[in-house]
Amino acid sequence: MSDIPPYAEFGIQSNFSFLRGASRPEELVLTAKLMGYTAIGLADRNSVAGVVRAWKQAEEQEIDYHPGCRLVFSDDAPDVLAYPQDRQGWAHLCRMLTQANMREEAQKGAPLLYWQDLFDWGDNISLAILADFSQPADALLAQLQPFKDRFGRSAWIALAPLYKGDDRWRFAQAASISNELGLPLMATNDVLYHAKDRRALQDVLTAIRLKTTVPKSGLELEMNAERHLKLPREMQRLFRDYLQALAETQRFAASLSFSLKELEHNYPDEVSERGLTAQAELERLTWEGAKRRFPKGLEPKHEELIRKELTLIEKKNYARYFLTVFDIVRFARRQRILCQGRGSAANSLVCYCLGITDVGPDIMDHLLERFISEERNEPPDIDVDFEHDRRAEVIAYIYQKYSEKNTALAAAVISYRGRSAMREVAKAMGLSEDIVNALAGSIWGWSSKEVGEQEAGAAGLDRSDPLTRHTFERANEIMGFPRHLSQHVGGFVITRDRLDEIVPIVKTAMEERKMIEWDKDDLDNVGLLKVDILALGMLSCLRRCFDLLETHYPARDSFGRPYTLATLPQEEKPVYDMISRADTIGVFQVESRAQMSMLPRLQPQTFYDLVIEVAIVRPGPIQGDMVHPYLRRREGREKPEYHNDELRAILGKTLGVPLFQEQAMKIAIVAGGFTSSEADQLRRAMATFRRTGAVRHYRDKLVEGMVRKGYPRDFAERCFRQLEGFGEYGFPESHAASFALLVYASAWFKAYYPDIFCTALLNSQPMGFYAPAQLVRDAREHGVEIREPDINFSVWDSTLEQATFKPSRIAPQHRSMRSIIRTAHGLRLGFRQIKGLAQQDMEQLVTRRGEGYKSVRDLWLRSGLPKSVLARLAEADAFRSIGLDRRAALWAVHALDEARASDRLPLLDRREIGLFEAEPQMELPAMRPSEHVVSDYRSLSLSLKAHPLAFLRDQLKQSGVVPNGSLRDRRNGQRISVAGLVLIRQRPGTSKGIIFMTIEDETGTTNIVVRTQVFEKFRPEVLGSRLVRVTGRLQIVSDVIHVIAEKIEDLSSWLNLLTKEEERSAPPESKPAGQGSHTVSGPPRVAGVSAVMPKGRNFH
Amino acid sequence: MLSHREDNTQRIAAMNEAAEALGLRVGLGIADARAMHPDLEVLEADPVGDERLLTRLADWCDHFTPLVAIDGYDGLLLDISGCAHLFGGEDALLQEVVRRLAAQGFDARAGLASTPGMAWAAARFSGRAAVNIPAGGEGEALTPMPLAALRIAEEAQRKLESVGLRRVGALLNAPRGPLVRRFGRLLVTRLDQALGLVEEAISPRLPVPPLSVERRLGEPISLLDDIKDLLLLLARTLRQDLERRGEGVRQLTLSLFRVDGVVSRISVSTSRPLREPQAIALLFREKFAVLEDSLDPGQGFELVRLAAASTAPFVEKQEDLHGDAVVVEDERFSLMVDRLRARLGDAAVMMPTPAESHIPERQAEFMSFRDWVRQPARSGAHRFVMNGRGSGGAAAAVQQEEVTWSVSPRPLRLLARPELVEAAAEVPEGPPFSFRWRKALYRVSRAEGPERIEPEWWREAAISAARDYFRVEDMEGRRFWLFREGTYDGETMPRWYLHGLFP
Repeated sequence: MSDIPPYAEFGIQSNFSFLRGASRPEELVLTAKLMGYTAIGLADRNSVAGVVRAWKQAEEQEIDYHPGCRLVFSDDAPDVLAYPQDRQGWAHLCRMLTQANMREEAQKGAPLLYWQDLFDWGDNISLAILADFSQPADALLAQLQPFKDRFGRSAWIALAPLYKGDDRWRFAQAASISNELGLPLMATNDVLYHAKDRRALQDVLTAIRLKTTVPKSGLELEMNAERHLKLPREMQRLFRDYLQALAETQRFAASLSFSLKELEHNYPDEVSERGLTAQAELERLTWEGAKRRFPKGLEPKHEELIRKELTLIEKKNYARYFLTVFDIVRFARRQRILCQGRGSAANSLVCYCLGITDVGPDIMDHLLERFISEERNEPPDIDVDFEHDRRAEVIAYIYQKYSEKNTALAAAVISYRGRSAMREVAKAMGLSEDIVNALAGSIWGWSSKEVGEQEAGAAGLDRSDPLTRHTFERANEIMGFPRHLSQHVGGFVITRDRLDEIVPIVKTAMEERKMIEWDKDDLDNVGLLKVDILALGMLSCLRRCFDLLETHYPARDSFGRPYTLATLPQEEKPVYDMISRADTIGVFQVESRAQMSMLPRLQPQTFYDLVIEVAIVRPGPIQGDMVHPYLRRREGREKPEYHNDELRAILGKTLGVPLFQEQAMKIAIVAGGFTSSEADQLRRAMATFRRTGAVRHYRDKLVEGMVRKGYPRDFAERCFRQLEGFGEYGFPESHAASFALLVYASAWFKAYYPDIFCTALLNSQPMGFYAPAQLVRDAREHGVEIREPDINFSVWDSTLEQATFKPSRIAPQHRSMRSIIRTAHGLRLGFRQIKGLAQQDMEQLVTRRGEGYKSVRDLWLRSGLPKSVLARLAEADAFRSIGLDRRAALWAVHALDEARASDRLPLLDRREIGLFEAEPQMELPAMRPSEHVVSDYRSLSLSLKAHPLAFLRDQLKQSGVVPNGSLRDRRNGQRISVAGLVLIRQRPGTSKGIIFMTIEDETGTTNIVVRTQVFEKFRPEVLGSRLVRVTGRLQIVSDVIHVIAEKIEDLSSWLNLLTKEEERSAPPESKPAGQGSHTVSGPPRVAGVSAVMPKGRNFH
Repeated sequence: MLSHREDNTQRIAAMNEAAEALGLRVGLGIADARAMHPDLEVLEADPVGDERLLTRLADWCDHFTPLVAIDGYDGLLLDISGCAHLFGGEDALLQEVVRRLAAQGFDARAGLASTPGMAWAAARFSGRAAVNIPAGGEGEALTPMPLAALRIAEEAQRKLESVGLRRVGALLNAPRGPLVRRFGRLLVTRLDQALGLVEEAISPRLPVPPLSVERRLGEPISLLDDIKDLLLLLARTLRQDLERRGEGVRQLTLSLFRVDGVVSRISVSTSRPLREPQAIALLFREKFAVLEDSLDPGQGFELVRLAAASTAPFVEKQEDLHGDAVVVEDERFSLMVDRLRARLGDAAVMMPTPAESHIPERQAEFMSFRDWVRQPARSGAHRFVMNGRGSGGAAAAVQQEEVTWSVSPRPLRLLARPELVEAAAEVPEGPPFSFRWRKALYRVSRAEGPERIEPEWWREAAISAARDYFRVEDMEGRRFWLFREGTYDGETMPRWYLHGLFP
C-alpha cells in the first residue's frame, strides 16, 4: 500500500464539456474518492458550469477538491488546465472566460479564447499545458518557452498516456523538454469518463456533436477506452519511469488554496439616504411599513415576532438581501405593477410590512415553516411574481440599477429527457428518421423514466436486436445529461462585486440578456443572491380586475380606499361556496379538470383549505398516495391517526396526511432521524440523482429509521414516495400560501363581478386553462351580457358598457349566485378578440372614429386602414352597427379600390366624395345562422349567436346522443352517449395513462375519462377529433360528473353540415380529380368547417 | 401516404384510399397523423419524380395527337381537333385514353369539351372518370361546379366564397360590373373561356431538343448485325452533333421500336465524355453480347433511335500526324472499365477506397466504379487522373489528398486475415520478446507500442476484444506488425497475431 504514490487528477472533463465528457461531475468525484485520490479537480472546456456540483459532492465525500477549467484556444494553441490559486486567480479566470464568451464573433455556447488571453489573465492561476509531444522538439520548445517565461513557477507540463503506439517516445520527449525548460511534468489521464464502460456513450456523444452517426464518425471516435479514472497503482505503472510526474500532482494541488466557499454572500449594498447601515435601514423600513399595514396599531405578539425576525436577519447578515428584494418590489408598486412574493422567506412579517407579500399574519400563523431556518445555512430564497405583460419593465429597472457588471440571469441547465434522449441517440445510432420519429413519438412528454420494452414495441422494434438494445441502453445512460445552458426564466443574480469576477458570463439567445454559467442549485450552494423575477398571468388579470372595479364600481375598503390584494374582504362565505361547487372556470390554480373534481369533495371553507387545495393536486401527494386518505378523513369517513405527538404537531392541520414538502422534510427529521442538512441533501438528491441509484441509500435510511421508531413500514414507504414526487415537482406550503391568496382574490371577483372577471381574463390572454370561448360562455351563464365586437363601439381591449343585470339570465346550475352577483355592466368584446388584427391599426381606427363610422367606405377613407384590415373586420361581423352583416360588409369592402388609395389621403376632408357608391345590385345568397356561427368561430374562435352543436341537435338526437346539460338529472351508472366539441385533453403524468377530455355542446360541458385500453383503441379519435361522440357509463360522485368512455367516434365531418348549401343540384362532395387529394405546392387546403373549430388544448 | 416538407413541418401531400378512409386529409402534419395512427406508412413525396413521370406520360400521349400540353403537376391537355376520327369518334377516343391509362396502372379522370377551360373543369369536377361535354352544354355543366373549376387563384376563390358565391352557377348570370370591380377581370375571362365566348390557345409542350438521331426503316430489320451496322451509322451522325456542341456523351440510349409498338431500350454509360463512334459501338457490343437472347425482334424493328441522355463538355485533344487522337494511358483504362461495366454490369467493377475506421482491416472498402466516379470532391484528385479531363489541371492532379490515419505508421502489407502466432511477452501489456510465425521463430530486438484499438461496439460482427498493436523488429532487421488480443489479467490467456509486414 505504502509504495503507491499519492495521486490527484486534474485533467478531467465532465458532461458539462457538452457532448464530450460522458460522466456527471458527481460520478467523477465519487469515483476519485473510491480510488483513493488525494485530490480531484474539474476542468471542463472553457466553462465552469459543473464545478459547483462537483464541489458539493466533494464536500460530502470529504475529498480535497479544486475547481478549474480546461482552456481550449481558438488559435491552435495546446489546451491548458487552469486552476485558480486564490480568489484573485478565480476572478482572473472568470474574466478571461467572460471575455471569450462575449466576443462579438463568438456564437452562443462557442466561446472564442485566444492564446493571448491566457497571457493577459493568467496570474494567480496554476497552469498545466497539454502540449502535443509527437511534434519535433524545436517546435515544442518554441511553443513552451514563452509559456515558461511568463508563468514561471505556476506552470506545469501535463502528460497523459494515449495508447496510440508512441507513448514511450512521447514520454521521453516530454521528459527531456521538461528538463531543458525547467518546467515540471505532471501526470494526468486526460479523463473523459469515470469508468471504462462509458466509452460507448462517449462515442454516441461524439456522433451527436458531429451531427452524424456513430458508424460514420470513423476516426473522430476515440480509438480506445483508456480515458477513464485509473487507480493510483495503475497510474504508477504507466508513469513508472517518471514517478516525479505523480508527485507533481501533489505539488500542483498544494499550490491551490481557492475554494468556492469564498464567493458566499456577495450581496449588493443598498445605499440608504440617511447613511444608515443595511440592518438599520431595513429596520426603519419595516417599522414604517408596519404602521401602514396595521393602521390600528400592532398587536404585541406581532411586534415581538417582527423583532425576532429582524434579529435573525441581523444574525445571518441577510439585511442587504431583503433590501434588494424590497427595492425591486417598491419599483413595481410605484409603476402600479402588481406583484407578490413567495417562498418561505417571503412568508414573514418583515416581508409583509415591506410589501413583498400580501400574505398577512392571520394566514401566516397557520404556516408550518416560515421565514429562514436557523440551522440550514442557505441563502433566503424569495420568488417574486409580476404581471406577465409588464415583467420586462422590472427587468429593465434591475439592469439599470445594478448595471450589467453586477447582474445577470441564472442559467437553466437543459438536459436530456426521455424524448430528446431517445431521438438523439437513435439518430446517432443510425436508425432511419421514420423509426426515430416513431420512437420519440412513443414517449409521452418529458418523462425521465427509463425507456424500454414498451417504446420499442410502439416503434415496431425488436428489443433483442443489438442495435435496438444499444439504442435503449445509451438513451437511458444519457438521460439527465446536460445538453446546453439556457437562461432561467427569471432568476436574477445580483452581486456587490463585479459579477464577471465571480462566475463567467455568457451570451443568451436574446441579444440584451446575459446569463451566468450556474443554475439555481449552484447559486444556492455557493450562497449567491438570486431573486426570481417571474411572470404570472393571473397578476395581470387581477391588476385589471382592481382597475375595472375602481373605475366602474363604487366598492371601497373600510378606509374608503380602492381595494388591493391585501385589503380585499377576507373569508367571505359566498366565495367559498362558489369554489366548493367547482364553479371555478378562470379562477387561479383551481380551474383545471383535476382541481375541479376535487373541490366538491374538499369543500374548502377557509383560506387554509385553499392552501391545501393548491398543493394537493400535484405529483408529490398523488404519487405518495396521500390524496385519497386525506379526502376520506376530510369527509369524515376515516379517523385521522398520528402515531404519536411529534407527528401530530407536524400533520395536525392536514389530518395526519403529509401534503406539503415541508411536512415530508420534517418527518424525515423528526421520525427518520435525519439532521436538517441531511434532509435538505435528500431533497436535492431527489431532483438530481433520481436515476442513479444514489437515492436508495436515503430510502433505506428513512424507511428503516422510521420503522425503528415504530412507524408502520407502509407509512414510511409512502412518505418516501412522496418525497420522490416532491423532488421533481416540489411544491411547498410557503408557495401554496401565496398562490392561495391569488386563488381567493380571483374567486372573489368571479363571485361578485363576473363581468369584471371575464373582461380582465380576456384582456390578459393568453393565460390559464380555458380559451376565450369558454370564458365568455361562463360569464354569460353567470348573467353577464356579452356584446360582439363592433367598429363603432369596440376598442382594442374588451370593455365594460352600461347594462342592466338580469338575474333571470343566470343559468340554472348557478342559481345560487342570483343574490350574490353585483354585476351592473355588459361586456363589449374588444378588437383583440378578432384574429389577425394589429393593435396599432385598431387604435388608429378608434382615434379617428369621432361620431362614428357611417359606412364601409367612410371607415376606409377616414381610418386610412388598408382593405385587408377592413376585410378582417367584416369577416368578424363587426359592421352590425351600420346595418351590414358580414357578407354585405365584405361585398362592400371588396368594392373599395386600392388603386385610388394613393390620392385619397389629401382629400380626407373633402365631403364631395360620397360615402356610398351606386352600382348594379347583386343578389347575394343570404347567410344561414349556422354559417354565421362557423364564420364567427373562424375569426373570433367563439360565437355569441349560437353554439355550433345547436344546429346538429336533431341529427344527434336521432343517433341517441343526449345533451350534456341533461346528465345532472340522470342515474349514476347509466350507459349514455354524449357529443361535443373537444375543449381540452389532459394526460397528467401521474394518472397512469388515463386521459381526461372535456367536451362542450350548447347545453354545457361534460368531462370524459378515457382509460388506457380505451385510449389505445380509439387513439385517433381521441387525439384528432374536433367534434366527438362518446358512449360510456355515467359516474356521479359528490356532484362530480364524469363519463367513463367505452367507445369514441369522430364526428368532425358532421360540422361540414353547418355550411352545406341548401339542397339544390349540389353535386357529390367535389374534390380534385383522382383518388384522394393532392397538393404539393401552395398552402394546405382548409378542410371544411371542422378545421375552423378549435383543435382543443392539450395539457400534461 | 406521402409527405412533403413545408415551413419546417412534414405534411401529408397525398395518400391512398385506406389513409383517406381513416379520416386523414391532405395538409395535416405528419406528426399529428402519426400520433393518431402510429403504424402509418409514410414516404417522402418526390415532386421531381412526379414531374418526370408526367412528362413521360405526355410523351406517350403523342399516340393520340401531336399537340400535348402539360397542365400543372397532375394534368395533361390534349388538343384532339381533327384526330378524334382516327379513333372512332370523340367518345371512343375518350374511353381509349382512360382505358389505356388504366391498363398502365393510372387512375385517371378525363374530360372532353370544346374549350380547354371546360375540359379542364370536366375532368376535375364532374365526379366521373370520363365525361364528354357537348358543345353548348358548357353553362349547364359548369353551374353546379365549385369555383375552383374556373382555374382562378385560391385567393379569388376565397374572396368569392366569403360573400356566399360558391358555385360557378352563381356567377353565370350575375352582373359583370360588380364582379370585375371586386374580383378582377381574370374571373370573367376564365368564365368566358370555359363557355367558349373567348378563344384560348393551348401551348403544346415543346420537347427539349434531345441530342438524338434516328432512322426509320421502310423494311423492318431483325438481325443483330444489321442493328450493329445501323448503330455505327447513327453514332457517326451523332458525333457530328457532339462536335458542334463541344460535348461528349456520358450516357446513351438505343431505342428499338418494334413493328407492333413494343419498344426496347438499351442504355450504356461512360466514365468520361465520349464521342468516338467505334468506341460507342464497342460499348453496345458488350451489351448485345449479354442481351442477345432476350432481345426479341418479333416482326422486326421499324425505327431505331440513338439518343444521348446526358452529355458533358469534351476536352479537345491535338491529333497526331497520323490523324489519330492521342490515346493516353488512363483513357485506355476508362475505356476498359466502360466495356467491363457494359458487359458485366455496374456492380461488377469496384474500386478500393479509404474508409474511416480504427480497425485496420476496415480502413479500405470497395465501392462500385460508378459511385466512385461520381464521388464528390473528396477524392477529386483521383478522378482527375482517371477520367482524363484534367489535361489543363496537372497541378490539381498532383494534389493527391492526404488521408491522415493513425499516429503510428501502418504496414505496407496487411495480411488478409491476422495469423495466430505463439509469443512470449512482457506482462501486462508489453511487446513480445519472441514469436513463432509459420513455424519460424523470430527474436524481437526492438519494439514500439502498444497502440490500443477497441472493438467497434455498435457492429454486430465486432471484433471481440481490444487489440494492442506493436511494431517490432527482429534480430535480422525484419519488421512486423503484431497484436495481442485480450489481456493477461483475464480468465483466458491473450492471443497473439501477426497482422502485417513492413518493408
